[in-house]
Amino acid sequence: MPEQKKIQNCELRLIQQDITDFEVEAFVFYAQPNLELGAGFGSAITRRGGQSIESELKEIGSLSVTEAAVTGGGNLKAKYIVHAVGPAFQEEQIEEKLHTTILTALKKAEEKEIRQIAFPPMGAGFYGIPLDASREVMMRAFEEYLSQGGKMEEIVICANDAREYRAFQSAF
Amino acid sequence: MSDNRATQSHKAKKLIERMSKKLNRQMVGSMAACVHCGMCTEACHYVLTNPDDPTYAPAYKADRIRKIFKRHFDWTGRVLPWWVGAKSIKTDAELEELKDIVFGKCTNCRRCSINCPMGVDYATFNRMARGLLVSVGVMPEGVAVVSKDQWEIGNQMGVLKEEYIDTLEWMSEELSDEMDDPEAIIPIDKMDADVVYSINPREVKYDPRTIADAAKIFFLAGENWTMPSEGWDMTNFGLFSGDDDLGGAVALRLYEKVSELHGKKLVISECGHGYRSTRCEGPNWSAHSVPFEMESSVLTMLRYIKEGRIEVDKTKNNVPVTFHDSCNNARSCGLFEEPRELLNLVVTDFREMVPNRSENYCCTGGGGAMSMTEYTPQRLKSAKIKADQLKATGAKIVVTSCHNCVDGLADLIRHYKLGMEVTQLVNLVANAVIVPEKIAVEEAATAEKPKEVAVEHSLEKFKILVVDDEDDIRLYYTVLLEDNGATVIQASDGEEALKLAKSEKPDLITLDLNMPGKDGGEVFEQLRKDPGTAQIKVCIITGRPELRRLIYNRPVPQPEGFLDKPVDDSRLLYDIRKILEVG
Ligand code: SF4
Ligand code: SF4
Repeated sequence: MPEQKKIQNCELRLIQQDITDFEVEAFVFYAQPNLELGAGFGSAITRRGGQSIESELKEIGSLSVTEAAVTGGGNLKAKYIVHAVGPAFQEEQIEEKLHTTILTALKKAEEKEIRQIAFPPMGAGFYGIPLDASREVMMRAFEEYLSQGGKMEEIVICANDAREYRAFQSAF
Repeated sequence: MSDNRATQSHKAKKLIERMSKKLNRQMVGSMAACVHCGMCTEACHYVLTNPDDPTYAPAYKADRIRKIFKRHFDWTGRVLPWWVGAKSIKTDAELEELKDIVFGKCTNCRRCSINCPMGVDYATFNRMARGLLVSVGVMPEGVAVVSKDQWEIGNQMGVLKEEYIDTLEWMSEELSDEMDDPEAIIPIDKMDADVVYSINPREVKYDPRTIADAAKIFFLAGENWTMPSEGWDMTNFGLFSGDDDLGGAVALRLYEKVSELHGKKLVISECGHGYRSTRCEGPNWSAHSVPFEMESSVLTMLRYIKEGRIEVDKTKNNVPVTFHDSCNNARSCGLFEEPRELLNLVVTDFREMVPNRSENYCCTGGGGAMSMTEYTPQRLKSAKIKADQLKATGAKIVVTSCHNCVDGLADLIRHYKLGMEVTQLVNLVANAVIVPEKIAVEEAATAEKPKEVAVEHSLEKFKILVVDDEDDIRLYYTVLLEDNGATVIQASDGEEALKLAKSEKPDLITLDLNMPGKDGGEVFEQLRKDPGTAQIKVCIITGRPELRRLIYNRPVPQPEGFLDKPVDDSRLLYDIRKILEVG
């Protein structure tokens, strides 16, 4: 059962869904500084989305942790991808950096007039941020962004499996 | 408390911090117990092929990890570090060196572990060290790629859902053609199956014939079986990378999918690390108590032959074969007699390799070594001992119950030009199985299948509400059910269905899930929540099994039956009669 609630005027939803196969205006890809799509979701983006995404990324070059850039979604169901370079593997000040990364991603999306965006559990899984920490930081960042006039109308958290879904349920 | 922390890199600090959380009684025992007797040395295939290089000795490798433990967690090392050889790890360069030892010089095969008189299980703390390095992002590129694929796509080889389903459908068609029988299919997401079959993504990507062979065996055995559409990967890279979180997440996906399908038994296709991870380690990693039985497909096939559910002709496999015990199956899980018993039933000339069973040498591609290309030259060099062992058997085929070993062995066979073929038991059983004449197949299948309804008016007393938005499907169900005596009423959408359910009080509702307006899930929940309709039996019939999630997550009792479209006459009548307890 999808969970949902309102923060300010924004609908926040939690679903279990493959984020790279989701019909949404934009979704966030947890990128690395070299902006290579690589394995995992990156490989799904490449294979389902086609070459145009990688070409756009090449134009952008590289970014630092907490920065973000937007590309088109190629042949994916999503119109845009927000490539947000998040911290990884217990690096220093990991939660602060994650918080900033989420805010940057939302800001970059807004610059493209995006009003509906999906996030994975940021930094959880491969990059090693515990699910509970990921949830806490994400919720704090969303509240902060929306309380400061953020224009996003819908934010969807896409859990990749039931375990991730359960970990985010307490935020609803 | 520790070495001068100021000079320690952030990663090194984090590694030591996490080490304290990973040390359990068994690990501490292994850290402390080594008396440096050297008995493990000759057990290691790296040592046997590099006799002049002491850095390959298990005790030497173990000491690289042990000295960190002693420096930070053992009082002798804290008080007299120089005396007991305690030394911290400080720089990122030292982390890289440790990486090359724990990933590049050990396959976690556990051969040294079983040869240690002190019970030191080096492979276990080598795995722990891998996990610590992974947690600070220090790992071979291949380990990162495979881990990320499994975390995010759900399987080690990044097989997308559409690719997996396409392959199953393709293999299903092949099977129908081979058996010349439309009923010979691979059922996907079938509810209440006796066997849920899970596989290694390598089978989808590189070896779909193993899926078709297994399907053939299940079909001929008349098994009530299925393959899950998600959570199907029984491999687990957490075992190799040392990442217990990945181990737990992957195992849980599989367990929860089997439970969602109400499967009675999880059968794991031939894969050593998959079997060990899923059956032995997974419940611990995931802290999940598994409510169903789990077994290796080797045991399943053996049982089918013993129970006479399939017949085999061993003369069909008359080339000399030998058997390679996978380290995870044999040394770690004790699975070594059953594959031999099965092998002897399906081949004419089986020759043991020496040593064998729990003393067998690693395929040298274990522990994820096949994904770490930077260590390929040293892996292939260490494979010399395995190559000699294979060659001495004189066999033309080497059989193994592990996909990882298939790749490891095939690579060394190519490298050492042995001219042998690698195969698995499933391929040999499928080759030896006797396919009954078409008529016999039909008889056998009918015996397991729903019986044709003998009494035409068997549904005479019953009123059935058929709910589906497609006119021709409603018509088909209606004609069939009326021909069998039922009184049928129809609804083409959810609202109408709820209205008719209340006013007509049918005995049973067949309910489509995917309808415009109110979907079948909402209709079902409302039916169950309304005391006036809560007792009506419901059979969900859907062409999209993934939509069953619309039902599972509802806080109401489950429906009495599930059917997948397209539905044939006998299956529909059988299930409806079963639900209505007719006959
Ligand atoms: S056999 Fe056991 S005690 Fe002896 S050196 Fe090896 S690990 Fe140490
Ligand atoms: S686990 Fe195997 S590869 Fe590793 S040191 Fe022991 S014998 Fe050698």
